[in-house]
Amino acid sequence: MFWFQIMVENSPSPLPKRAIYGFVLFLGSQFGFFLYCLWAYIPEEWLHSIGLTYWPQKYWALAVPIYLLVALMVSCVVLFGVNMCNTAPLDSVDNITDIYAENQRGECQQKGGIPRLKDVSISDVNKMFYLSPRT
Amino acid sequence: MLCYSSQSWGYARFTHRRLPQFFLLFPMEAETFSDIRGQPITLDCQRHSSFCSEFTVSSPKVSIGKVMAYTCSVWLLAYFLFFFTQNTAVLSSAILVTLVGMVLHIHFVKVDHESLLVIGSLGIQVSSSYASGREITSFIEMGRIKDIVINEAVYMHQIIYHLCVLLREPAESDAVAGVVPLFQSSKPRLDCLVKVYRSCQEILSKVP
Repeated sequence: MFWFQIMVENSPSPLPKRAIYGFVLFLGSQFGFFLYCLWAYIPEEWLHSIGLTYWPQKYWALAVPIYLLVALMVSCVVLFGVNMCNTAPLDSVDNITDIYAENQRGECQQKGGIPRLKDVSISDVNKMFYLSPRT
Repeated sequence: MLCYSSQSWGYARFTHRRLPQFFLLFPMEAETFSDIRGQPITLDCQRHSSFCSEFTVSSPKVSIGKVMAYTCSVWLLAYFLFFFTQNTAVLSSAILVTLVGMVLHIHFVKVDHESLLVIGSLGIQVSSSYASGREITSFIEMGRIKDIVINEAVYMHQIIYHLCVLLREPAESDAVAGVVPLFQSSKPRLDCLVKVYRSCQEILSKVP
C-alpha cells in the first residue's frame, strides 16, 4: 500500500492548492504587465517630478520584447542546427554499437527460462532480414 | 591494353597503384536503380570467380543543362552588378569564378562511379573515381574485416540505409573497431544494397 500512496502524491491531476497557485501567478503576471505599460507610457518628466529618477531608458521598453522575440525565432533554427551537428556521422562506431552492448554478459540462462534481454548484433539482424528466404 | 568505349562489353585496365582488373569475356549487366534523392544510378555486378566479385555504382553524368543554367545565372548576375558599378573587374571575375568553380567541381566533388571489389581471404578494395578522372582507392585486408552490413543511420533530416564495412582489431575478434561506409556519394537505396550485400555475404561466408 505504501507505493500506492506515493503514486497519488506525485500525480499531475488538478488539486485545490495548485489552482490557487495558478490564479496567484495569473494575477501577479497581469499586474506586472500593467506596471510595465505604466512605466512605458508615462513621460519621463512626470516620473522625475514624482521622484522616480533611476529607471531604465524608454528605449528598452521596445528593445527587450523585440530581443526576446528574435531570440525565440533564432533559437528554433539553432536548435535544429545543434541537433544535426550532434548527430553521429555515417562512419562512426556509435551507429553500430556502444559500450553497453559490447560489454553484455554472456548467456547464463536456466533451462527453460526466458532468455535475458540483450542487444542483437547488426550482423545477425542483417542475416535475418536480408539473407533468409522470403516466403 | 584493350579499350572498348561502349558499355555493353568489358574492358581491361592495369594500373600500378591498385590491384589489376580482370579481362571479361561476357557482357556486363547494368541494372538501373534509384538513389536516396530519386536520381537514377546503375549497378554493375561482375562475378569474376566464386570468391571474387566487383560491384560498380555509376552516378548520372554532369548534365549540360545544369551547367548552362548555372553559368547563365552567374553571368547575368555579374552583368547586373556591372550595370550599376560600371566596373569591368566584376565581369572578368565572374568568368574566372565560373571556370575555376567548374574545374574544382568535376575534380573534387562530382563522383563518376564507385566500385567495390571483394576477394575472399584477401580483402576488399574500395575506389571512387571523379568526373575529371581522379581515382581514390583504398584496400582493407581480410584480417581487419569483421563483416559487411546494411545499417540504418540518421543522415541530415532522414534515415537512410547504407552499406558499411565493420572493422576489427586483428588481435581480438569481438569488438567493432571502426566503420567504413561504402558508396557514400551515390547513396543507393535498399534494393540495390541488398543485391550487393547478398553477393558479398556469399563470398565472406566462405572465408575461414
